[in-house]
Amino acid sequence: MASIRVENVEKTFGRFKALNGVSLEVRDQEFVVLLGPSGCGKTTLLRIIAGLEQADKGRVWIGDRDVTLLPPRARRIAMVFQNYAVFPHLTVYENIAFGLRMQKVSPEKLKANVERAAALMHIENLLGRYPAQLSGGQRQRVAVARALAVEPEVLLMDEPLSNLDALLRLEMRAELKRLLAESRTTTLYVTHDQVEAMSLADRIAVMNAGAIVQYDTPMRVYQEPASVFVGGFIGSPPMNFLRLRVEGQRVRLGSLDLEPPAEVGAEVLLGVRPEDLEVYPAEQPQSFAAQVLVVEPLGPHLLLTLNFAGQAFKATVPPDFPAAAGQTLWLRPQPSRLRWLEPGSGRAFATG
Amino acid sequence: MNLRRLYMVLAVLLVVWVLLPIFLIATLAFSDRPSVFAWPKGLLPQQFSLETISFFFGVEGVWRAIRNSLAVAAMTLVFSVLLGAPAGYALARYRFAGADAYRLLILMTRAFPLAILAIPLAVRFIQLGIYDTLLGVALVHTALALPFAVLVTSSLFLSIPKELEEAAWTLGCNRLQAFLRVVLPLALPGLAATAIFAFVISWNEVFAATLLTLRERTLPAFLLTSLNDSPLPFRFAGGFFLIVPALVFIFVIRRYLFTLWGIASR
Amino acid sequence: MRTERYLPYALIAPSVLFLLFFFAWPLLEALLLSVRGGGGGWTLENFQRMAADLYFKDALKYTLLLALVVVPLQVVLALGMAMLLGGLSRGRDLFLYVWTIPLGISDLAAGIVWLAIFTERGYLNSLLQALGLIEQPQLWLSYETPWMIFLAVVAAEVWRATAIVFVILVAGLQLIPKEYSEAAEVFGATPWQRFWRVTLPLLKPSLQVALILRTILALEVFAVVVALGGRNLPVLAGEAYYWYNAYQNPGVAAAYAVVVLGISVLATLVYLRLMRPRQEEAA
Ligand SMILES: Nc1ncnc2c1ncn2[C@@H]1O[C@H](COP(=O)(O)OP(=O)(O)OP(=O)(O)O)[C@@H](O)[C@H]1O
Ligand SMILES: [Mg+2]
Repeated sequence: MASIRVENVEKTFGRFKALNGVSLEVRDQEFVVLLGPSGCGKTTLLRIIAGLEQADKGRVWIGDRDVTLLPPRARRIAMVFQNYAVFPHLTVYENIAFGLRMQKVSPEKLKANVERAAALMHIENLLGRYPAQLSGGQRQRVAVARALAVEPEVLLMDEPLSNLDALLRLEMRAELKRLLAESRTTTLYVTHDQVEAMSLADRIAVMNAGAIVQYDTPMRVYQEPASVFVGGFIGSPPMNFLRLRVEGQRVRLGSLDLEPPAEVGAEVLLGVRPEDLEVYPAEQPQSFAAQVLVVEPLGPHLLLTLNFAGQAFKATVPPDFPAAAGQTLWLRPQPSRLRWLEPGSGRAFATG
Repeated sequence: MNLRRLYMVLAVLLVVWVLLPIFLIATLAFSDRPSVFAWPKGLLPQQFSLETISFFFGVEGVWRAIRNSLAVAAMTLVFSVLLGAPAGYALARYRFAGADAYRLLILMTRAFPLAILAIPLAVRFIQLGIYDTLLGVALVHTALALPFAVLVTSSLFLSIPKELEEAAWTLGCNRLQAFLRVVLPLALPGLAATAIFAFVISWNEVFAATLLTLRERTLPAFLLTSLNDSPLPFRFAGGFFLIVPALVFIFVIRRYLFTLWGIASR
Repeated sequence: MRTERYLPYALIAPSVLFLLFFFAWPLLEALLLSVRGGGGGWTLENFQRMAADLYFKDALKYTLLLALVVVPLQVVLALGMAMLLGGLSRGRDLFLYVWTIPLGISDLAAGIVWLAIFTERGYLNSLLQALGLIEQPQLWLSYETPWMIFLAVVAAEVWRATAIVFVILVAGLQLIPKEYSEAAEVFGATPWQRFWRVTLPLLKPSLQVALILRTILALEVFAVVVALGGRNLPVLAGEAYYWYNAYQNPGVAAAYAVVVLGISVLATLVYLRLMRPRQEEAA
């Protein structure tokens, strides 16, 4: 097992800059998720680490080896592909054994490794089958088993669950978490599903437009987004951003009197998650009033869209909360969950 | 429903149209001499006999022509796959400057009647000392089959996901190993179809084979040059024998026929 | 990893060299051969001899006529077969296989097969006799009845090579998403309208390929004609063969080859121009 270090990697396809000086460090035995919208360069970064793609600039380290110029086979990595890439002409057993055969390990070790990987993924009974006789979920297990069997220093996964249906995805997610917690393999995992990222990761690297915009633990990425982009991308519904005037180093929001960070200008963005707004049907101290625009019952809670001074935002309330469109409600944010951001750049101010 | 029946009738009529002539020549090939010359003829053979067919094989030079045909077709098969498959692989897997120009070159060969080019080649082959050799004929036949081999194999490799190869690389294969262990086994049936196609092209080709040989005749060349002074039974048996392998080959590759041509006509 | 960049070139290089030597260069050589005299100087002598030859006019006429008659027949017939195939409810695979059998049959073999039908004591005469139309065997394939030979060649060519057009068209049809035709159906188009307004326009690329391929092959028609009529129905490729083989004159043979090449290129250009995809279809 080993760490991964990516330094200042750049990649251009034709005239399109896919990676814009990306640096990233994954510690030994850590599970890091690369999260970002479609087309932001996640796959490209992963493929550069795997050696399937050549960076234009920058270096890649695995452990203390500089692998920038090494072909994939010499990097001691294993990769799980989005469409699994399970070899259709080989049995499940031979698929899992493939990497071991390339390493020319002894027959005993080969058998032992294959069986252990198969047992980990609960596919011992499928070893004699061909991929065409497997379901999508089973193929996915084979792909992971094949990667684990070679005992890689680093495991790379590109949206390994995205081709599964929702239910199976949930099940496999939990299983992957158990499995990788057990094997403690350094893992870099690509997804654009934020729930997957939150549930699996030790740390999440949020990417946007070819750059990493925040790299932190899931809870911190969620609660303290580094920018409007991160707050808006993570969380469903996303974080609310209210644009407010700053008067004499104070911001007034209804009967609320807030103190923004010292370095603000004339205006400031206040970020608050919908679930961090307490909602009351009658006026409260330390709250602001807003009109209900839309009420959406979502099962576990109601999602309200409200209007405050011409700005729409969302809040969630318990399902039995009496709310109707047109009604005026009072909202009180939890003071510790507020986030101040700079309206121009969208970047968050450092919290004190 | 009547329309369905009409369709069926038409379809069966087309089957008769295709098969009847083959049936007739087969009938003639397996009749005795008098029935070949009989008049008027019935649809069914009057008498099954191996006389005609054994007469054909008894003619001096026939066996040698068959052997030559097989050898030339086999060489064509090998050459076109060996030259065509790598190019098809390159077209399928790499974007490189010149790929379009290369495609154009391949498609250009379609706008020219290639067999006709045997005429200038004959002159050159005499100087090179490969006139009237099987190798010379096979080279020209390869020129006929190669564009096909390139286009077909390129689509074949395109249909094998690149990720399979990449997965093999990450599992410790170098390029060659990944190709041999992953791509080749998957491409094999399609490559076999391509090879058979090349074989049939060569087996059937007559113009270049006739021009480029004097003694080392292939079977079509032998038949063609002896048409005028050979009796009908000989021609019929020869014609029938020419058809047989082709029938078998088309049957074997029928599953690929459409992918073959579908892609070749892109 | 840097060698990567040269790999594709290494892979195509053998076939490029091969095609240069056996395609591009003979093309040039044919031209040179046709305009070189015995002494080595430039001359039009070969073309003059060719044009002055008794057979030349007929060969040109019959070759062009054959292409003009055979190719449209094949395309229409193949199109019909392809549509018919779509209308069949059962046995599609079987019909598909049987209809494509001629694909494997050589022109020489096809000529011989139809010789068995058109020859003096052949099946055609037997049929006519059975129908009471003739008493004695008729001689169809003699120099006195070139049109009958022409007909026999057309019959053999249509029988043999419609399959290629058919396969190309079916392959093309498979690439057209069903939704287009279904959408047209929803909007009330009759089957006939759907064929003309949706299927046929979308099939244009395949039709173009089929037309070019078949026309080129029709222009070098040779063995079928020789098998059925010897030199009684002269064609260009046949004349090239006789001049090379019987008269030992590569120069005139090359002149014939150049004529065939010229017509072929011309035909291809005409097809490409006539069937150019319109701008909005290029997407
Ligand atoms: N081979 C290539 N040639 C040209 N452009 C490419 C190539 N590969 C990727 N790109 C471009 O680079 C950008 C990043 O692609 P990448 O596949 O890394 O995105 P991603 O973050 O993995 O997206 P997704 O979540 O959709 O998989 C995209 O805009 C894509 O169009
Ligand atoms: Mg991706």
